[in-house]
Amino acid sequence: MKLKSSYIVVAVLSVIAIAFPAFLGAYPLNVARSIMTYMALAISWDMLLRSGQISFGIAGLFGLGSYASALAVLRGGMDPMLSIVFAAAFAGVMAYALGFAILRLRSMYFSITTLALMEIFRIVMHNLHDFSGGPEGVVLPSVIFKGASPALYWLCLAGLFLTIGVSWFFEKSKMHLALTAIRNDETSARSSGVNIFNYLLIAFVITSVLQGMMGAIQVQSYGFTTPDTAFDANFTLLPLAMALLGGIHSTIGPMAGAVLLGVASEWLKLKIPYGHLVVYGIIIILVILFMPQGLFGLARKARRERSKAGASHE
Amino acid sequence: MKKALLVIMIIALAVSAFAMGAKEATGTAPAGAAPIKIGATWPLADITGKQGSMAAQQAVDEINAAGGVLGRKLELIVVDDELKADKGAAAIEKLVTVDNVDLLIGGMASGVALGQIPVMKKYAKVVISTGAASYKVEEGLGAEADWYFHLHPWDYNQGQSYADGWEAIQKKFGNVKIQKIFLAYEEGAFGKASFDASKTLFGGRYTFDGAPFKSAAFGGGDYASVLEAAKKYGPDLFLWAGYDADALPMLEQAKAMKFNPGIYLGAPPGWPADFGKSPLAENVMLYGMWAPSINGVSPASKKFYDGFMAKYNTEPATYFAPLSYSAVYIAADAIKRAGSTDTAALIKALAATNYASPLGQTITFTPSNIIKHQGVKNQKILQWQKGRQEVIWPFESATAAPVYPFPAWK
Repeated sequence: MKLKSSYIVVAVLSVIAIAFPAFLGAYPLNVARSIMTYMALAISWDMLLRSGQISFGIAGLFGLGSYASALAVLRGGMDPMLSIVFAAAFAGVMAYALGFAILRLRSMYFSITTLALMEIFRIVMHNLHDFSGGPEGVVLPSVIFKGASPALYWLCLAGLFLTIGVSWFFEKSKMHLALTAIRNDETSARSSGVNIFNYLLIAFVITSVLQGMMGAIQVQSYGFTTPDTAFDANFTLLPLAMALLGGIHSTIGPMAGAVLLGVASEWLKLKIPYGHLVVYGIIIILVILFMPQGLFGLARKARRERSKAGASHE
Repeated sequence: MKKALLVIMIIALAVSAFAMGAKEATGTAPAGAAPIKIGATWPLADITGKQGSMAAQQAVDEINAAGGVLGRKLELIVVDDELKADKGAAAIEKLVTVDNVDLLIGGMASGVALGQIPVMKKYAKVVISTGAASYKVEEGLGAEADWYFHLHPWDYNQGQSYADGWEAIQKKFGNVKIQKIFLAYEEGAFGKASFDASKTLFGGRYTFDGAPFKSAAFGGGDYASVLEAAKKYGPDLFLWAGYDADALPMLEQAKAMKFNPGIYLGAPPGWPADFGKSPLAENVMLYGMWAPSINGVSPASKKFYDGFMAKYNTEPATYFAPLSYSAVYIAADAIKRAGSTDTAALIKALAATNYASPLGQTITFTPSNIIKHQGVKNQKILQWQKGRQEVIWPFESATAAPVYPFPAWK
């Protein structure tokens, strides 16, 4: 019964999200696209984190997807929609190849390597002048759907829905058990028959596909890319902050964090034009310092305390 | 839970404090019915955008104090583009669809402008752009964008004006001799575009070489290798294309290495506010569009400068301030001549602009390589002399003769 009611809530929220263009203007739809992009990145980052691996390579794969899509359209004459699928697959293939090397690493060694990969991708695009446009990047002949706000919104929403769907599959399938076992104790997991490398590789490839796909959607929506914009460190740092604010190791946590920080960022900008970035930075620092378990974690803790108090009264 | 409450309280206090400060800093919109709304985007955390928006507000206040335009007040609505393409595009959407502005001004970074172009094309509102030098922006706009009025010179305009300037200086001042040029450029889009343009322009006439460096603005700051390469090359003209954060550290390292080119020139979009106060700045040359010394030869510049100082009690440190001030005056003048804010009438009136700007030159719009309405097509060659930026070229707005060669380090 409980499961069914949660399905109903999800269905209602999905319908509301799909119907937004019917009652929202171009500006809120544009802001929503930005929030959804970061939300998808935050969720995908969290999906790998559930195995205990902290990746700093989000911007690298996001940028790789941006370039793969833009260059497929420009140099290969590919249809823009098809180029998004191609970019996602390209990011996945790259992650699969790289995974054999870097998924042997753990903790900070893995994190630093993913960070370095991001920089390597940026430098490669920077230096392939004739192919990638070099530091000046490339401009597409037009944006997808001729820039129509509702269509761009739905495209981004589709990317987000796919990400949420995959994340929930991770939560509900045996992937969840395997990744949690790896995070808690690798030796125990291995002795229980969990193929650690395979599960890590699957998680790394799938999250990379999602990140590459969001990069491709971004480039097709704005019609250009440069190394500095595609591999911007914000595409790594903001999703991390959003996931931490909302609460890690879940789908709902990064979603809540992305909505809160995304809306706060835009609201602060309009209220405090000359100092909003300072306040935004302070919020992120305070949250990480004092609420490392995130809002979702706090809610869980409060619920536990309430039930404990209830039990002691009985 | 106590910690969470504490965090929420601190955030609420911080937001309130900043919001109150912002209200005082930006003031309120002028009273009266149906103001003419000018929407603007700049990067407000950067000195170019901050001072650009301040100067635009100064122009709006001056025009309103003089009775407004067509009997209506002007209202400036500024949204921070945060130097991000998506934020810049969202800002345009807000200004056009929520604030219903009559026209748009502003802009600084080409990367943001590229992200804004699809949205600008969708609404085809009049835009008076104060930034975006990259030729990629012009390619993205295309020849059909007759609503786009670009005040800032394109990168190839700038390169051409430098080539013209050095030719003219060598002709006029016989002691200035340039044969070898070395360009140290930051490794990003701005620096690489500068190198490509300079190589094309200077490569035939002069012996030209260059090398990249990582700007201090992006985590770099060690210029030893690029300066070593330059020193070995022995240029008559050493120029660097980077950001304000590179200005002083590069000079300090040049001094430590006793690197003495004939001319030491920097071409960042903005300089550190107190750069002129450093003894190292003496006789460094620079490219720019405006300097306070132009007050001596241009009444429009003096009016702008005095007004800015009186309103904000700080000196304009970047040419984006007079450029943005000019954008508002050009818009107001065109609305007046058009008799309305109708887009077609406004485009026609703007195309006939003839504005004696604080930049020390009259701004008109003529075609550039692709677009129909290009404003300024040149930069100026300036030199720090006794803590002031003096204009060396063009000679019609010159305020001093060049000090040449760059003195040996003591």
